[in-house]
Order: sequence, then structure tokens, then C-alpha cells
Amino acid sequence: MSEQEPTVRERVVELLNTAAFLPSEKEKIATLAKVQELIIHLDPQLLDSFFEDVAAFQKDRNSDVRKFVVGFIEEACKKDVAMLPRLVPNMQLLVLDEAVSVVKRVVQAVVQLHRATLAWLAAARTTTPEMEQVWHIITTMKNTILTMIDHDNDGVRTQAIKFLEAMVLLQTYTEPDSVTREGEFNLDHVPLTLKVARPRKLEEEARMVLGKLLAFQGSIHISSVNLMTCMSSLTIIARARPQFLGKVVNALEILHANLPPTLTKSQVNSVRKHLKIQMINLLKHPASYDYHYNITTVLTDLGMSSSEINKAMPSKDSMKRWIRKDKVGE
Amino acid sequence: TKMAELSFAVICSSNMNRSMEAHAFLSKKGFNVRSFGTGDKVKLPGPAPDKPNCYEFGTSYDDIYNDLLKKDKTLYTQNGLLHMLDRNRRIKPDPERFQISKDKFDIIITCEERVYDQVLECLEARIPEENTPVHVINIDIQDNHEEATIGAFMICELAALLSGTEDLDNDIDELLHEFETKCQRNVLHCVQFY
Repeated sequence: MSEQEPTVRERVVELLNTAAFLPSEKEKIATLAKVQELIIHLDPQLLDSFFEDVAAFQKDRNSDVRKFVVGFIEEACKKDVAMLPRLVPNMQLLVLDEAVSVVKRVVQAVVQLHRATLAWLAAARTTTPEMEQVWHIITTMKNTILTMIDHDNDGVRTQAIKFLEAMVLLQTYTEPDSVTREGEFNLDHVPLTLKVARPRKLEEEARMVLGKLLAFQGSIHISSVNLMTCMSSLTIIARARPQFLGKVVNALEILHANLPPTLTKSQVNSVRKHLKIQMINLLKHPASYDYHYNITTVLTDLGMSSSEINKAMPSKDSMKRWIRKDKVGE
Repeated sequence: TKMAELSFAVICSSNMNRSMEAHAFLSKKGFNVRSFGTGDKVKLPGPAPDKPNCYEFGTSYDDIYNDLLKKDKTLYTQNGLLHMLDRNRRIKPDPERFQISKDKFDIIITCEERVYDQVLECLEARIPEENTPVHVINIDIQDNHEEATIGAFMICELAALLSGTEDLDNDIDELLHEFETKCQRNVLHCVQFY
């Protein structure tokens, strides 16, 4: 073992030295990717010694190199939460990068870091000043990203929508019929006693964010890509948090009646097809029982036959369960 | 070049004719391309319309070639199937089913609406994890040799258009509109996430 360890370390040092002087960004990224593989996956003990050297490339003139660094930070923090206080401050600069490709990548990464940080806080017995600091930075970045829903660049707006979707899912509790990813981290796992990030406040914020998404879907000048992204996000939220089903179905109904006037003819076709898919996904969810009339009306309007609609209906059993639950509630 | 940076998938029903024609054409032009089918089985014309030749995905082009050769060499030479399979086996070993692939792409181009629907159904069923966008675009192409050739040409044109921009996510709506006007074809388009 003592022979093996210096070898990997030496290789890392050599790769880092080479990377600094490579003129081609492609080769530079490939070299840094090797370093990442070695210090995150092959020998994670080396991460502590070398993370700064990799992160230093965030000052590189090439945006692809900076984008790589964002991915590295994300991977490093996912591998070891001790990296959060060391690397999250770097993201604060990257989120303001002048290249949209870097900003988009940062937004993707902050979704993961936000979740990882909350999980870290939830699992700790006491909140250290270091943790508070990380949470503070994450919150600042979160607020920056929230404003990106109005960004000039369409692709940045798309990523902002996905960020808002993730925020709602992270900052709410699951319900019995929630469709969620296996091992998803959310408010269920956050103790009520956590002071730095109070669950009730987070939940309140999630509702505000959902309101933003609903409003965004209804904006007149929304592009067709972002309209479809928003529709999918709302559907994912409704299926994962059935308490919001009514709001989402209602927003999709309104959309169906008033498609943005800026869409071209074939965009209208694409959006209508997308709406059909979303509505079928909602119909399949047992908790949509109360909205079947609204959903099937839209689907019929979109040209679906009643036999096709019946095929998409959830099984009688799962619905019965729902009707009964409803009655117990009364 | 920009061309090699975007990864494309071209998809039809059986990963035999339309997607393979486009796969061949695009890779010749230097694009980073893969191809798939979305059908339950690989279906090829048989001795009568109600007697198609069906194979499981994963059966190699070579095995299918030999099977058809054994069944009726004259018929399958005349209708061009053997020629097509010979072309295909030079590109890759076997037809691949999209639904079981774990690979990620920047652009997915489908060759008919039903295939587009199946691709969306498959992607919609997954809960996105990293939020990397993939654009799914449909161009209707009839399933015969001539149309597949024209279709491959159009797909290549579209691929070149999409590769030519610095910021695809921002420009795609406009580029697709440009393509529709130029080629006089309607496309379906939507964005999904990995």
C-alpha cells in the first residue's frame, strides 16, 4: 500500500502541472478529468490535498474549462460533504460568470448542492458556524437563480425553471400517493428543530416558488421550449406532491384555452401534443380522481377518443382507495 | 469542429431503413451519431403484407441477412432488403432498441410521429436527475428506400443547422422555424431532461 499511494499522488501532481500549460482546452479538460477520476473515485483521500488545484482552473479564460470545474465541484461535494464549506464559496463567483453555458451548468449543480447541504444540516447533531456559512451562501445563490426566470437567455430560463421545480420538491413533504425518485431527500428528513433552515419557512418558500412557476407558464411571451419545460415541471410536482394537483390541472386548463399568441403553427402542434402527455400523466395518478372531469374534457378536446382515455385511467382499485380516503376525510 | 460536439440519435421503428440511412449519411459527414428503433420487434417486409419477417432487437444484421438469404434470395435481393442489411452490418453489429438504452444525447431526431410519441413516453417516465436538456425533433419520413434517402439528407441539413450555433438552447426555436420554411416540412419539437 505504501508503494501504491505515492504513485497516484505523483500522477496527480504531474497531470496538474501538464494541464496548466496545455494550450488546447480540450486536452486541458481531458487531463483535469483524469485528475478528477483519480482524486474523487480512485483515491478519495487525495481530494483534500488537491481540490484547490483543480478549483483554481475556474479562472481559466475558456468557458468549457470553467464548466468542467463546476462539474468537479459538484462531484467532489457529492462524494464528501466536508468539501461543501471549501468549495461552495467558489460557486458564488461561477454563478455570475459571463458565459451562459457556465451559468446554466452552475444552476444544474446548485440543485444538487442545495439538496446536499440541507441533508448535511439535517443529519448533524449541532449546527456549526461553518454549516451556517454554507447555508447562507446557498441561500444567496438560490435567490440569484430565482431571478433568472427573467433572464435574457432562453436556455438560462429553462434551467431556472428546473431549479424552481427542484426547490418545490426539496422543500415540501411527501404524501401517501407521491411519485418520487427512490432515495429522494426532502422535508420528510429535516427535523422540525433545525433552526438555521426552518422547515416551516422552507415549505412556505416552496409555495411561493410554485406560484412563480404557475405564473410563468401563463406569461404571454414565453417561448415554446420554456412553455413545455414548465408544463412538465408542474406535472412532475403535481404527481410528487398531490396537494398541488388542483392548481396544476387548473393552470393547464387555462393554458389549453389560451395558448401564447407568439407560437408558430407547428409549435402549437408540439405544445398541444405535450399538453396531452402531461394530462395523461396526471390522469394516471390515483389522486387526480377529483379532477377527472376537467382532465378528460381537455383530452377530448385534444382529440383523444373515450376508449383511449379509459385506457389511461388508473385501475378501479387504486381509485376506490382514493374515494374511500376522501369519505373518511369528511 | 462544432459538428462533433453535439451528440445525435436518429430513431425509427426498426432501426433498419430510415434511421440507418441517416446514421450512415451523418457519420460520413462527421457528425457524432447513433441510431435506434422504438418498436417491440424488428420488422421487415416478408413474402406477403400479412407475413412480415420479425426479429428480436439484438439479433445481428448479419444473422438477419443470412436468414433472409436462406429464405428467398431472389425476393430479398429484388426488394433491396439484402442490400440494406449489408449496408447496416458495415455500420454497426445489431439493431438497438431506444427504450433500453441508457445513453444520453443532445438531439434526438425521430422519423415518424408514432416513434416521437414512444420516445417521449419513455423519457417522460423517468424522473430527471441532472436536468441536462435533450431536444426531441420529429420529421415525418415514409418507410421506403427513396424517402429514407431524402429524409437522411434533410436530417443532415437540420443537424448542420443545429451544430452551427454557439447557443443551441437559446436559438433552437428560431433554427427549427428556419428549417421548416426551407424544407417545407413540419416538425414536432420538445425538450426533455436527463
